[in-house]
Amino acid sequence: MDATVTVNGTTYERDVEPRKLLIHFLRDDLDLTGSHIGCDTGNCGACSVILDGVLVKSCMLLAVQANGANIETVEGLSEDGELTPLQQAFNEHHALQCGYCTPGMLMSATALLRENPSPSEDEIKRGLQGNICRCTGYWNIVEAVKSVAK
Amino acid sequence: MTQASETTLAPAPVEVQKGWAGQSVKRKEDKRLLQGEGVFVDDIKRHGMGYLHFVRSPYAHAHITRVDVSAAEAIDGVYGTLTGEEVAALTDPFFQISSVPGANIKDFSLAVGKVRYVGEPVVAVVAETRELARDASELVEVDFEPLAAVVDARTAQDSDTPVLHDDAGGNLMWSGLYSWGDLDAAFAEADRVVKIPELHFHRFNSTPLECDGALVEFNRGVGQWTIHTNNQFPGFAAIMMGPAMKVGLDKLRFVTQDIGGGFGNKITSHPQLVVCCLLARKLNRPVQWTEWRTDFHLSMSHGNERWFQDTEVAVKDDGTLLGFRTKALDDAGAWLRYEPLGGVIWAQVTPGMYRWRHIELDFTQVATNKAPVSPNRGYSRMQHLWFTERVIDIVARELGLDPVEVRKKNYIRAEDMPYETPNGCVYDSGDYAGMLDLALELIDYGAIPAKRAEAEARGKRLGVGIGSTLDSGTNNFGQSRLINPELQFSGNNEVATVKLDIFGEIVVTLGTTPQGQGHETTAAQVVADILNCSVDDVHVRAGHDSYWNSHAGFSGTYASQFAVTGLSAVKGATDMLAAEIKKLAGAVFGGVPPEALELADGGVRIKESPDAFLPFMACGAIVNANNAGLPEDLDVTLNCRYVYRPPFEVPDVETKKGNLTLTYATQIHVAVVEIDPETGAYEIVDYAAVDDCGKRINPQIVEGQVMGATAQAIGAAIHETYEYDEDGNLLTPNFYDYHVPHALDMPPLATGALESPSPFTPLGTKGMGEGGGAGIHAVCAAIQDATGAIVTDSHNPYQRVWRLLHEAQA
Amino acid sequence: MLLREVEYAKPESVAEALELLAANDGARALAGGQTLVNVMKARAASPDMLVDLNGLEELKGIELAGDGTLSIGAMTTYSELMSSAEAKARPILGEVAATIADVQVRNRGTIGGNVCSNDPTNHLPPLMVAVGARMTIVGAGGEREVAAEEFFLGVYLTAVGPGELLTRISIPAGKKDGFAAVTLGAEGTCICNAAASVNGAVRVALGCVDAVPVVLTAESPEEVADAVRAASLMPPSDVHASSEYRIHLAEVLATRAAQEAAGR
Repeated sequence: MDATVTVNGTTYERDVEPRKLLIHFLRDDLDLTGSHIGCDTGNCGACSVILDGVLVKSCMLLAVQANGANIETVEGLSEDGELTPLQQAFNEHHALQCGYCTPGMLMSATALLRENPSPSEDEIKRGLQGNICRCTGYWNIVEAVKSVAK
Repeated sequence: MTQASETTLAPAPVEVQKGWAGQSVKRKEDKRLLQGEGVFVDDIKRHGMGYLHFVRSPYAHAHITRVDVSAAEAIDGVYGTLTGEEVAALTDPFFQISSVPGANIKDFSLAVGKVRYVGEPVVAVVAETRELARDASELVEVDFEPLAAVVDARTAQDSDTPVLHDDAGGNLMWSGLYSWGDLDAAFAEADRVVKIPELHFHRFNSTPLECDGALVEFNRGVGQWTIHTNNQFPGFAAIMMGPAMKVGLDKLRFVTQDIGGGFGNKITSHPQLVVCCLLARKLNRPVQWTEWRTDFHLSMSHGNERWFQDTEVAVKDDGTLLGFRTKALDDAGAWLRYEPLGGVIWAQVTPGMYRWRHIELDFTQVATNKAPVSPNRGYSRMQHLWFTERVIDIVARELGLDPVEVRKKNYIRAEDMPYETPNGCVYDSGDYAGMLDLALELIDYGAIPAKRAEAEARGKRLGVGIGSTLDSGTNNFGQSRLINPELQFSGNNEVATVKLDIFGEIVVTLGTTPQGQGHETTAAQVVADILNCSVDDVHVRAGHDSYWNSHAGFSGTYASQFAVTGLSAVKGATDMLAAEIKKLAGAVFGGVPPEALELADGGVRIKESPDAFLPFMACGAIVNANNAGLPEDLDVTLNCRYVYRPPFEVPDVETKKGNLTLTYATQIHVAVVEIDPETGAYEIVDYAAVDDCGKRINPQIVEGQVMGATAQAIGAAIHETYEYDEDGNLLTPNFYDYHVPHALDMPPLATGALESPSPFTPLGTKGMGEGGGAGIHAVCAAIQDATGAIVTDSHNPYQRVWRLLHEAQA
Repeated sequence: MLLREVEYAKPESVAEALELLAANDGARALAGGQTLVNVMKARAASPDMLVDLNGLEELKGIELAGDGTLSIGAMTTYSELMSSAEAKARPILGEVAATIADVQVRNRGTIGGNVCSNDPTNHLPPLMVAVGARMTIVGAGGEREVAAEEFFLGVYLTAVGPGELLTRISIPAGKKDGFAAVTLGAEGTCICNAAASVNGAVRVALGCVDAVPVVLTAESPEEVADAVRAASLMPPSDVHASSEYRIHLAEVLATRAAQEAAGR
């Protein structure tokens, strides 16, 4: 079945089985391995991407459902290979350790800040509630997002 | 609101150090991880690779009567399968650490003849796509004859309980009696004996976000496997796999790069790795295995579940603790994969943080039809420290004394350091009372009574509790002989190499397998200090590759030791390199002695006349490409490999005494909980964590570990549990029911730090990272304080707290 | 984690969707996918065909009538419900939606999906029953309206039959509502929940204690606990709560929901 998907500005046309999950399509078919898989029940958020401007967990969408959509993944955040202010804030505040949840966290934080450029601490936590981290305890991630809020 | 208030108290005068050590240098690892350019094992692809899916047992305990893979293999696109029968023919059972009876069990990498836990791998299927492997696995036919399941360690040795391993003759795997001091005298001297019938430390683990995995290639020409994996202790994996596969260890090349968390839970994937290796050879193609979340929960690395039964504590009425005896019953699950080392590792912290000298612990480990137990953050010490902290709080309650005062009265004192424990371990340094004061200050302990009253006015119950623990680091593997005197392991080691490349680039390789602890960054800091250059000039290779010969028998990242073993290896190699650079420069300068030279500004120069300067680039070029004319006896390669070996003796097997770990980091945590008495639901409303891991090379990285350990402990205390029903079905097999903390679950956190350098390590560092589970102990204590009921279980979900409240009222 | 083979169809109208569902025995509607896709990953259910309702404008939209009745399209997401100005006419709707899981789930998950999956721990079934919602079901036989109280038939089972679709949920005017839950962590799965609405008397719907929401009425919030006890509940025991604890929670949460409703 046809899956024509634009990811980070590049359009890909592929023929996929309807059952293929969007996260597997991104990782296996398009070699965009920045988005990760951490669970099998849609709880961890490591697969989070922005689809047509909306934050979603790509493990709960079929690739064919993304046909015609515009997707943003972690690979598309920095334009010229340099870290964005949000990414720099993560580095400054030690908001990542193993880095496995980080792409999902960055997409969730990006979506949050677009909708709400001046979130409170509670709003930041709510914005990241769908992303599990086992290394940091979230405190530094919240501080990093706070530091780039207006 | 994270205050992250860092308060540093140095208990002894410490020279102000210039340089990189002690600075919160930003991590080198981050750029690639932030851009999604990290390389985790599932990111790696090979042309023609086959995807592996395990057919797993639906029964906790059953005979396997028939296995038929023909229907699966007939499917187009299925490359092949592997069964237990093949494994039994191709491999020997895994080496057992245990003495008898555990030594007799036969552990293969697929179930042979019997399954012993739900989720145990029975058959492996490899196919062209992930989905096809999964589909084909449904066509594999396995017939089972179910047996009754053993799910309670307390009845595992009863005569009518089914036996998991006939070869062992029963479910007892290992037992040992530890006894030091004079228990009779202690109990005679006691004013009273506090009796605690049963304490239970529950089963859970750290659920790293990335599950296990591997991509294995077999080079037929040289008979070598390349195992791309996220196993965090390749040294151990190799020792287990080589003999089982009947190949030399050089045939097993382990490659890791980025690992999505380990916490000890990625040490025992060797059975699955063997399956991948056998299939890569059998099918003549690379084989890729990704463990799904449910697979991980069902089968991988549960933490030790441990009962402490019939505890008796000898105490004086003034709160002085004289000693204790207890029976520790450990539930190892279906296989001994790193066990029964848990049966001795607790002894690194036998007295906890306290001065009692008379201790007896009767340790029994049994097999049950649950997932195999293996290291989990805080491995075996956490269980024991939870026990000692429970004892303190229960004794304090019985005597009507303040738990703070009982701790201070019994803590080992800073002036006693280094302190030899009853079983010969040496606590290197620490100021426990000082740390407790700092923690109480951070939590504003004096304001607790007012907060308690204010909470009650709102209909809530407030409680405060302390958890004080030690993170013993750098194991002496000789302690394994206390489990099995026949074993030939002792000491510890770690390797690093540092070289100046042909263009003077500083390149470091590590034997370790970091999973987020910032090894690349901290290693660079140590190197930069010695070579007097910038951390940006030091390139540390990401990950571990046994092909580089930069590993040793115990290489890996586990057991809170990198800051000692890894960084000491880095220091050693860099000291060697620095000496060689000076030797080379001395020769080039026409015979200048090393004392007259110094490293600075990216090169080496004569102190008295700094214009005589040889940049690193020149050094590298001379040795590698331009070495004619150098003195014949100039013994310089600028490629230095150093093995750090901590100073250990083999422990005494008869008395079970000896120094089991080199360093002891300290953690003191305080938790404040607020309970809704109508429902038992509660939250942590305030939290303080004070940590002392000696000299901190990178304080921010250290604090990150403290935070992570705190979050995991909170999760374990309140929600996380691996609970089984009576048929051996795991009731929490995924993140839906096994609830880990999310962002909104985190309390406000204040952190503090002390630095009590270790006198035993080259850099004054102590390993840290695991913590001792202090958060669990603090939450238990806070619940006890709030409810007035004695807390006897490490796991206290809302339901249990509600029952405790009602017990206390009754 | 890997689904069985499935066919996929993206109808361009509700009529086409109904045709597809009627023509294929093993076809199922795909709404937000936040439950169904996970069920398919576990291979606990494997429909032969997924009929994707995303993009059907007929199933979207929230209308506020002159008499205060809200008509909400079944494919309205939780996020849309939260940000809808019209839905603020009945504030409890957005308030409860905001406690469901997380942003990602709320961006795709739908109220139709939530009520039609009728997992006993879901938030919306008891809420719909408490506020007296009416469900519009469309099928080959035409359109009919079912009261929420008759909509939920069993675990994962509702009045939406084969070849039918829930198209809209209609909510009467009102503001005196309450909802209380004990969850597995913040915004987590409900261990027990209760919804209440006051319109003279108190109407309470309990979730998590039976296959379908249990409806109770009482004269006042103070009498709700008695009503719960009189209901002789026999909730399931699971790893999070024993039956006895669930009953106790039901009493407490029902009372709290009722008090919240009365206090508005």
